[in-house]
Amino acid sequence: MNSQTSTANRWIETILSLDESVRHRTLESLCMGLDSDALLHAVCELDVFRRDADNLYHRVRAHFFLSAIYRYYLPKTFPETQAGLLPYEAYQHILSRRFPEAIDQLLAVQKEQGPTLVIASALSRAYHQLGIQTLADQVRRSVRTVRGNQWMFRIGHPSEHPLRLNKELHQRDAATGDYPILCEKTSVRMDFSHSGWSDIFFLGMDYPEGARVLNASIDLGVYGRDATTRPPVEAYLRVIDRPVLRLVSTDLGVEAEITEIDDVFDFAKDYLGLLKSALIASGVVPPAMEGCHQKMSQLLKSLIGKEGLGLELVSKVNDIPKGSRLAVSTNLLGSLIAVLMRATGQVSALVGGLELQDQQLITARAILGEWLGGSGGGWQDSGGVWPGIKRIEGMLAGINDPESGISRGRLLPQHTILRDDRISEASRTALQNSLILIYGGMAQNVGPILEMVTEKYLVRAEKEWDARLDAQRIFEQIVVALEQGDIRRVAKLTTENFTGPLQTIIPWCTNRFTDSMIEQCRERWGGQFWGFLMLGGMSGGGMGFFFEPSVQAEARQWLLQTLVATKRELQTRLPFAMDPVVYDFAINDRGSWCEMLRSDEATMPDGYYAIVAPKLIRQDIRDLSEQSQRELMRLNRSCREGDGRARWLLDRLLPQAQIDSDAKSQLPEMLRVNGFDKTQHEQIRTDLLSGRIGLSENRLPRQTVIEDVSLDDMIDLREIGTSNSRSSDEAFLGRRAIEAGQVAVVSLAAGVGSRWTGGAGVVKGLHPFAKFAGKHRSFIEVHLAKSRLTSELYQCPVPHVFTTGYMTHAPMEKHLASVNNYDYPGQVLLSKGMSVGLRTIPTARDLRFFWEEMAHQVLDEQQQKVRESGHAAILGWAKSVGEASDYTDNLPQQCMHPVGHWYEIPNMLRNGLLHRMLNERPALKYLLLHNIDTLGANLNPLVLSKHIESGACLSFEVVGRRMEDRGGGLAVVDGKRRLLEGMAMPNDRDEFGLTFYSSMTTWIDIDQLLKAFRLDRTILGDTAMVENSVRAMAAKLPTYITIKDVKKRWGLGQEDVFPVTQFEKLWGDMSTLSDIRCEYIAVETMRGQQMKDPAQLDGWVRDGSAEYIHSLCKWS
Amino acid sequence: MEINQALITAAGPGQSALPLQRLVDRDGIEKTALEMILAKVVNAGIESVAIVISPGNEEAFRRAAGSHSDRVTFVTQSEPTGYGQAILCARSFLGVEPFLHLVGDHLYLSSQSKGCVKQLIEVAAAEGCSVSGVQATRETMLPFFGAIGGVRLPQTERLYEVKRVIEKPTPTKAEQELNIAGFRSGMYLCFFGMHVLTPASLEILDRLVATEKRPVSLAEALNELADRERYLALEIQGQRYNIGVKYGLLNTQLALSLSGVDRDRVLSDMVELLASQKLS
Repeated sequence: MNSQTSTANRWIETILSLDESVRHRTLESLCMGLDSDALLHAVCELDVFRRDADNLYHRVRAHFFLSAIYRYYLPKTFPETQAGLLPYEAYQHILSRRFPEAIDQLLAVQKEQGPTLVIASALSRAYHQLGIQTLADQVRRSVRTVRGNQWMFRIGHPSEHPLRLNKELHQRDAATGDYPILCEKTSVRMDFSHSGWSDIFFLGMDYPEGARVLNASIDLGVYGRDATTRPPVEAYLRVIDRPVLRLVSTDLGVEAEITEIDDVFDFAKDYLGLLKSALIASGVVPPAMEGCHQKMSQLLKSLIGKEGLGLELVSKVNDIPKGSRLAVSTNLLGSLIAVLMRATGQVSALVGGLELQDQQLITARAILGEWLGGSGGGWQDSGGVWPGIKRIEGMLAGINDPESGISRGRLLPQHTILRDDRISEASRTALQNSLILIYGGMAQNVGPILEMVTEKYLVRAEKEWDARLDAQRIFEQIVVALEQGDIRRVAKLTTENFTGPLQTIIPWCTNRFTDSMIEQCRERWGGQFWGFLMLGGMSGGGMGFFFEPSVQAEARQWLLQTLVATKRELQTRLPFAMDPVVYDFAINDRGSWCEMLRSDEATMPDGYYAIVAPKLIRQDIRDLSEQSQRELMRLNRSCREGDGRARWLLDRLLPQAQIDSDAKSQLPEMLRVNGFDKTQHEQIRTDLLSGRIGLSENRLPRQTVIEDVSLDDMIDLREIGTSNSRSSDEAFLGRRAIEAGQVAVVSLAAGVGSRWTGGAGVVKGLHPFAKFAGKHRSFIEVHLAKSRLTSELYQCPVPHVFTTGYMTHAPMEKHLASVNNYDYPGQVLLSKGMSVGLRTIPTARDLRFFWEEMAHQVLDEQQQKVRESGHAAILGWAKSVGEASDYTDNLPQQCMHPVGHWYEIPNMLRNGLLHRMLNERPALKYLLLHNIDTLGANLNPLVLSKHIESGACLSFEVVGRRMEDRGGGLAVVDGKRRLLEGMAMPNDRDEFGLTFYSSMTTWIDIDQLLKAFRLDRTILGDTAMVENSVRAMAAKLPTYITIKDVKKRWGLGQEDVFPVTQFEKLWGDMSTLSDIRCEYIAVETMRGQQMKDPAQLDGWVRDGSAEYIHSLCKWS
Repeated sequence: MEINQALITAAGPGQSALPLQRLVDRDGIEKTALEMILAKVVNAGIESVAIVISPGNEEAFRRAAGSHSDRVTFVTQSEPTGYGQAILCARSFLGVEPFLHLVGDHLYLSSQSKGCVKQLIEVAAAEGCSVSGVQATRETMLPFFGAIGGVRLPQTERLYEVKRVIEKPTPTKAEQELNIAGFRSGMYLCFFGMHVLTPASLEILDRLVATEKRPVSLAEALNELADRERYLALEIQGQRYNIGVKYGLLNTQLALSLSGVDRDRVLSDMVELLASQKLS
């Protein structure tokens, strides 16, 4: 056996071994000392192994090993010049989730051309996604095969429906004539231990020994609002006298009557997706009926056993915000499923508590419901259905379990309720007297974190694996401390868990907001602040703070004020969905509980009547059913009795002054002061409607010839590496220019970073996105730290300009003032944006083009269904509101848009900043322009030397393309070298023939640029002339129509994302102008890579990019 | 074990007229449903039969029993208080002997020369314990029947030891508790409406009725019986026909005729009917 074979066998041996010490070998130890050949041999062997492996987890682990080698190890072994090209077909396979085909094609190219950066990045992604897909498919299969769930996947026609509604529910009350109402009240769950996200199915099913949480059912009240605590979620069910399924969500204020069975499977049509999931998962509308094209009345007749009757399902959340990290949604789903299963005899008791086997069944169904709805939570989330405090643990799969032979662990965990004999009443009281639960108000997407955790576990990343073992040790200590009633120790341990293992596994689970709150607690309360507890997947949402019981009351008040104040301070930097909330809580010892409301008690919650009553009142009383008429009579009576309903009823029935008129009325003024051009806006609207402009019109004509550049046509610095060569002779010109004060840096920060925040409207530049030197740092702090190092190295303070826009200017100005420009030694200047656009409703044509013609990652089967159903709803919205009409139904800042980064340099001309800088520093000759998220861009003397030597007006930096670098690149277009935007490509395929991706970093020769604008230094102060020249230049450049996501926030932490149309002009198009001389410089990936999405952060740290950025910085 | 007596329940609400319905049997002779049931019972060697009826129906039932009326004892259930309660009405008639129990709204057609009742009685006599007739049934029919869970007896094809009985189970419960090895998914053994029961079943029913104060199903008592003594289920080779459901009487008549001497005539009548009728 040669050494290569033995290396490859080590990986397979690790995967297959039953010996824990071998099976848990870490990725780092396996890769240590391997050269390119050994790694390539290992990936070949692993690929062969994963194709034949029968065991699911063996296969999946091989996928993740392969992904990690291609992402983190192989690319370091070959030079950056091995950039290569990505086959378009392979890319299409990945987008369409045909991962095996993509892998085959990529491997064939790799075999033929040798390993390249782009192929390695694509293989890494394909293996990673195939691993996740395999796991998700298996969880879905396991959920289906749980006994008690299987039948629902066989019953495909309503006439075969095997469930019957309990007869008590369709027996009218003798006195009132009303049907009774079944009312389920359920707690939410709190997780004390966290235990390293070990409730992710993928972990629990492979490593049941390490999957454990301590989970408590809690009732909640909002501090300062509610007098007592109560179960936060409620579900109501009753028979109605019309053969429809009526769904009402009182918390979201929506209702719908469903007459077709297929509509139950249309999750994104309205806000009733959770209720629909419950109907399906409870078996009332079995999942196999999807697409049966039958009437709901037919199903109801089978189910109820009588013609003409229907069902009404109502959900209520007692004003607990979304995103509380207390699994409110899952427990509401559990509550809805419980009430439906009681009504159809699937659990033993119609009313009262639930038996153990019922709780297990509802847990299994809630998991099914979550997967059907495309959300997929953890296995502890429906803990509120169970009583009290319980230990939930993964279980090894037995021979009779459906998981046997597939995974080591069972899908469903084991619940052990820790009753009074384990955790005494005194301990529970002590806990309640110390812990304060809060909702921090941050809007978060935990999905990427769960994927990171899974991957790190499966490859046994070294630090993270040690941290996981540490978290398990802490978990057991938390249990003991709780049993002993030592809450101070519980607090110490949960804090230790958060600062130690959790942040080692996922550094992104904390943020500036959380750190600041913990610091403030320590400062204000000293030893009386006992500790911190993170709830859910990441901090910033649900959190717990332990205090000495004697100060708990005072601390609660202080905490609320401090949370709100801290949120106000950070709200332009971090995405908050709403103001923080402090809760009162109590442990619920009886679990989900159900009552039958009869006679006069048979009324729905208030929120229900607020939604339903106005609709009924507007109809002719004679057209209403008897039941509705009685309902209105009862409402009439209670209004007369003065219980407050009369007021809200009037509020809903009669027009009122618009409460939000203030915000709306600000829009015209904000547009005016920010340079909105109404004439141009109207022209764009007309052109959009007539089809002269639009997404498809962004593209160059089909006959345009797009070719890749030759390396002879550019300056290639990738091999020598820019950061290592700053002292070389070649860098002399650049060094001299910096030392002579001839250079300034311009960071573009006018945009709103739609992708970074998901359209949340916070300032990306101010986002404290990662820790450097032990502190969360924002993008602007990183950029200033690089300029600081440059200033010190070359003994010349570099002026640093941040361009701003309507949304970013004031927050950046305020923030920089508050941190004293981070003590930057040079000038920090803001260049204020001078123009703004007003977003419009997209046209149906553009929406269809966007969804159907442009490349998108197809989602997992169920999520894709939800997405497509959402598309239909959005098309309906666009048509009903009016295509190309102004988008004004949001905060003014969210209705406006920046008009593209091309304007940011012209803005420096228009607002006089460049004029001022040149007057103050006549030596200034060059600008380095870069995006806010290009973290590696700095004043590198070697690159600057090349720019100076070339004599170009603009030198654009480009990098070798990787899989994720989409959106344009360096091309030869009809014989001319230029940057080509992705949306201008005549065909999606064209981009895959281009080796280089544009990082947008540009070196500018100021005088040449002014000349191109028909200006010079002497006439920069002439405003009219500047305006004319900018307008003339703008006219030469194309205008792109784009569709961006914008968030609209409403209710308690609810967010909707809408696509809106906006236009932009882009800087890269300067390379198309014949009178501007351009040069192109290829630099190493780390210098040019952009940080577009928070999900990139983890890989960015692991591949050494963060360390590279740190090496370019000098912190204040 | 010898089985000499039978109990037929026909006192359920809406059930009292069903055994009086007239049908043409396999031999082309017109009879009441009750007469046909009694004929099967007598053919299986049963000496005496008790029929539980609602008040005021005795005369009609006696006439409907035809030639078998002299073997029949009528027991009246004064109020329709439940299925279990109906069986208990005949307790003094049944004494402490095992008995055959049938429901009055079902007719049974054997698919072999041996009648359905006889198949059941022979097994009960040989095994010396309670035996229920069962039939493999799709899960969609679960709302209509009691169902059993158990294990197949070694060396037998159609005999099962009953572990669990649930009246009209939901498919959720059935999947968790009534699975039988070797059965296709979604198929369960449901009652055929025919049982041979030991006196222990009456004792259990008696206690349940006394303690629960509500309508008690036979299935509840049989579930307890399975815990208490050996209790088997036999997959009957034949078909049951419920004459109490919509088109039940028509289907039963067709099944009788198509397996009897008038098969050709009925078939040709049906073809003629099919040819002459149009959808209105």
